[in-house]
Amino acid sequence: METVIPQAGKAKTVFKEKANKVLGVNLQDALITKAYMSVAFIALFLGGILGLLQGLNRAGLLELPSWLNYYQVLTAHGLLLVVVLSAFFMIGYYYAGLSHTLGGLLPKVRKIAWIGFWLKIFGFVLVLIPLLLNEASVMYTFYPPMAAHPVFYFGLVFIVLGVWALSIGAFIQVANWRKNNKGKHLPILAFFATGSFVLLVGATAFVAVEVLFMIIPWTLGWTDGINVLLARTLFWAFGHTAVNIWYLTAVSVWYCIIPKIIGGYRWNDFLTRMVVIPLVIMNITGGFHHQIIDPGITPEIKFMHVFMSLAIGFPSLMTAYAMFRTFERTGRAKGGKGAFGWFKKLPWGDVRFLSPFIAMAAFAPAGAGGIVQSTNQLDGVVHNTLWIVGHFHLTLGMSVVMTFFGVSYWLIPYISKRVLTPQMNKLGIVQTIIWTIAMIMMSGAQHTVGLLGAPRRTSYTTYGEFSSTLGWDPYLTMLGIGATLLTIGVIIQVYAVFNMMFFAPKGETEFPVAEEEENAPKTPYWTERWGLWVVLTVIVVGMAYVIPIVDMIVNAPPGSPPFKTW
Amino acid sequence: MNRLVYGLLLLISLILPPVANLMESVMIIHMHMQMPMLVIIGMIMARFFQERYPRFFEKWNENGFPGIVLFIIIVSYWMMPRTMDEALTSQSVEIFKFISLPFLAGIPLMDSWKKLSSIGKNSVIIFFTVAFIGIGYLYINAPNPLCNNYLVIDQIILGWGFLITAIGLIIYLLYDFFIDPSAYEEVAEEE
Repeated sequence: METVIPQAGKAKTVFKEKANKVLGVNLQDALITKAYMSVAFIALFLGGILGLLQGLNRAGLLELPSWLNYYQVLTAHGLLLVVVLSAFFMIGYYYAGLSHTLGGLLPKVRKIAWIGFWLKIFGFVLVLIPLLLNEASVMYTFYPPMAAHPVFYFGLVFIVLGVWALSIGAFIQVANWRKNNKGKHLPILAFFATGSFVLLVGATAFVAVEVLFMIIPWTLGWTDGINVLLARTLFWAFGHTAVNIWYLTAVSVWYCIIPKIIGGYRWNDFLTRMVVIPLVIMNITGGFHHQIIDPGITPEIKFMHVFMSLAIGFPSLMTAYAMFRTFERTGRAKGGKGAFGWFKKLPWGDVRFLSPFIAMAAFAPAGAGGIVQSTNQLDGVVHNTLWIVGHFHLTLGMSVVMTFFGVSYWLIPYISKRVLTPQMNKLGIVQTIIWTIAMIMMSGAQHTVGLLGAPRRTSYTTYGEFSSTLGWDPYLTMLGIGATLLTIGVIIQVYAVFNMMFFAPKGETEFPVAEEEENAPKTPYWTERWGLWVVLTVIVVGMAYVIPIVDMIVNAPPGSPPFKTW
Repeated sequence: MNRLVYGLLLLISLILPPVANLMESVMIIHMHMQMPMLVIIGMIMARFFQERYPRFFEKWNENGFPGIVLFIIIVSYWMMPRTMDEALTSQSVEIFKFISLPFLAGIPLMDSWKKLSSIGKNSVIIFFTVAFIGIGYLYINAPNPLCNNYLVIDQIILGWGFLITAIGLIIYLLYDFFIDPSAYEEVAEEE
């Protein structure tokens, strides 16, 4: 299958396409993305298998051996999929995007990217060792007072250092481009990358403070106790933002890539940039809605933060509108008639569209569930139940990951100088369908059984054959079936990625960044003032956090010693 | 005209007793949210007055200096613990707050800011940075309540709020000092 979609467009578009075809991908830059993608999809494979073990355990079908307990598996599953898969994919994708849209990476940026890569790998190995020894079964949120082996936290520090190196690399690349292209708007994909890396630095700063100044001295025995509430607050300033960075990455695909894949144009550059900017400024403060049932934070502060969290929903609604407008325009341009005729004209047989489309559709119920959880009273019902697990399998496991899967079907061939074959496309469609059905089953079961009260982070138990909890079993069985199907999806996806990387037919694949619509209104130049956005972010974050954090420190309890609960 | 209406609507909504009581119940929200919002309301309304009374602003605020001095005086006045207390205990001072911040701080700020040179602008920011650090230090370390209406913990929180705002301003000043916009953007492209 030829992956370059023919389209009648502006002369500029055609010229650019030709230039890309001649120049193709920079092989040195491609190697960086290849390395990141390989790690991401190996993590998907391992994390997926561990997910299967968990699903089967929760379904009551599998008893885990004593040398590999449920909590160990849960910690590894979370870290591999939430931290490794998402972060490595995001960096590989954005670095490919920076290389493509900003004319190739600078040699020093390339060097920084490799340093960052090895820092992260080294950090991850450090994390893995205590994990395998069952010395770090603290789940991916590593909440104190549960304490892992100090090496686990040293590993986290190296991962953060790697992230910072990569962010600096991206900033150098962007600054260099802007110096050489005075007065021009940063290409849209690079704009998304800048926003994401700014957020990444902001988010990891919090977790760095938590790990370096609180947890490490405490696990080494230098301090007697830890301020649990403060540590959790710092963690969620990071954790919430991290999730939103992966989401922002998926959004960048929806805005920049999908219009091109369906043969259309990007709509309203100004709106797109106005989605990125508020997401950057308002994101970090959303962390508090993960702490709605934490004691020690006053209801007024929680109320204020629910408002901040819901404010992030607004750019998401703009995104939903913009996407469907693009779909409708493109469908009509292709001859779609009537109110919904355009819908049929979309390329449903193209995995590069189908998978991200389902991802977008999944974000509707996922977002609605998110609003439920950030509401004090409703969260009281579902907090710490499997509902939450169902929620983030919808947001991350569908909205984000299915977008990433869709990207892999053109990005991997692009960096490998190969093409997506019709057979592989078909396999991708099958994978997408399996994944969709499986995730709906699993996440649906988790949401429902969560409403009935089934706790999360709990190995299988019948609670002494207690009649009420036995009623959860059918849902847990469905969860297990979903997890099994997902594992099949994982295997197909990983096979597809490595097949496209090393065995697919050679050829040129395009990096499909959509052009703006004709006669598009001019975007105001102030959208490029990243210095201002960063200062605003600092002040918003400062104002949002100063009341609770000062309160937590000044009125701190004596602090907790470390606990090993497993 | 629209701007005046919007501004007045916002002002009234902030004066409404439930809103005012909620915002004034927390010291830092009183000073770092309600008061800046009042100033911003003045900035929103400024264009109406500038268009309605152009001669007045030209005559009295030709180079922006008198306006910014008035802004600094009003804002500095409201940063004093005593004045916050009085706003809560005395009705007339509360009314003065709702009038002075939009009309004597917001409008002059909007009118002066564009007239000031970059040195003038940065001097104002530096003044507030230094003031915020000083006040922040005072609020954090004062052993007794400086306001009768607030607890010591509220005061410490406000102190940190001042310091964090000062850090934000310092980042801005460093950015302004080290980054030359003309290296990245064409002046003609400016909005």
